[in-house]
Amino acid sequence: MIAIQTEDVNIGNLIEEAKRAGTGAVVVFDGIVRDDDIREMELEAYEEVALAELEKIADEATREHHLLHVDIIHRIGRLAVGENILIIVVSAGHRPDAYAGSRFIIEAIKKHVPIWKKELRKDGDRWVPGEHPHGTNTPR
Amino acid sequence: MTIKVRFFARFRELLGTDLILDYPAGATLAPFVRDIAMKKKDGYDALFDEHGTFREFVIIMRNGKRVEHGDAAALPLADGDEVAIFPPVAGG
Repeated sequence: MIAIQTEDVNIGNLIEEAKRAGTGAVVVFDGIVRDDDIREMELEAYEEVALAELEKIADEATREHHLLHVDIIHRIGRLAVGENILIIVVSAGHRPDAYAGSRFIIEAIKKHVPIWKKELRKDGDRWVPGEHPHGTNTPR
Repeated sequence: MTIKVRFFARFRELLGTDLILDYPAGATLAPFVRDIAMKKKDGYDALFDEHGTFREFVIIMRNGKRVEHGDAAALPLADGDEVAIFPPVAGG
């Protein structure tokens, strides 16, 4: 499942579905709204491009790290502290591939996928700056 | 010709989004965006420097494909094109 959506997902169900024939490891990454003195976080995406980019990243991770299954769910809209922002579930035959594949996906998302976060803070709102300046964050 | 313009994140707050514009045929991308942004000074200043060139961090797409800054000035637009302008991505 590759999706950009407002709704949360049941991570337990995703783990069960990731257990394909040959699976020896499932790795879950769950990015969460951290309590950095904020009220809420608002997420926005260029949805068509972001979804296509997530699919490319999943394909590349599958190829490079021999993954058996990939789920990427990136949430948008308003999220409260403690809510899930991004869920990545990967399965592989062995743990090195599962860990490496999961890491590859999150780092690629941070570099390439057109999604933005705004912190709604008690002392005023603030767009979270992109980690990657122009030239290295090329949406492909 | 009709061009759709989509600004995102901070640029959306400054300039709006999903703008559908009738524009004379033969337009090229950078002058077209400059023309739209000029209507709101804060938005213009966010996108362009004092020489009227895109600021280094501004990301430009046409029909979902990245456009390099060096190509934007001369890139012709066609009827039905979608232009997207956004700051560095910050998902995850």
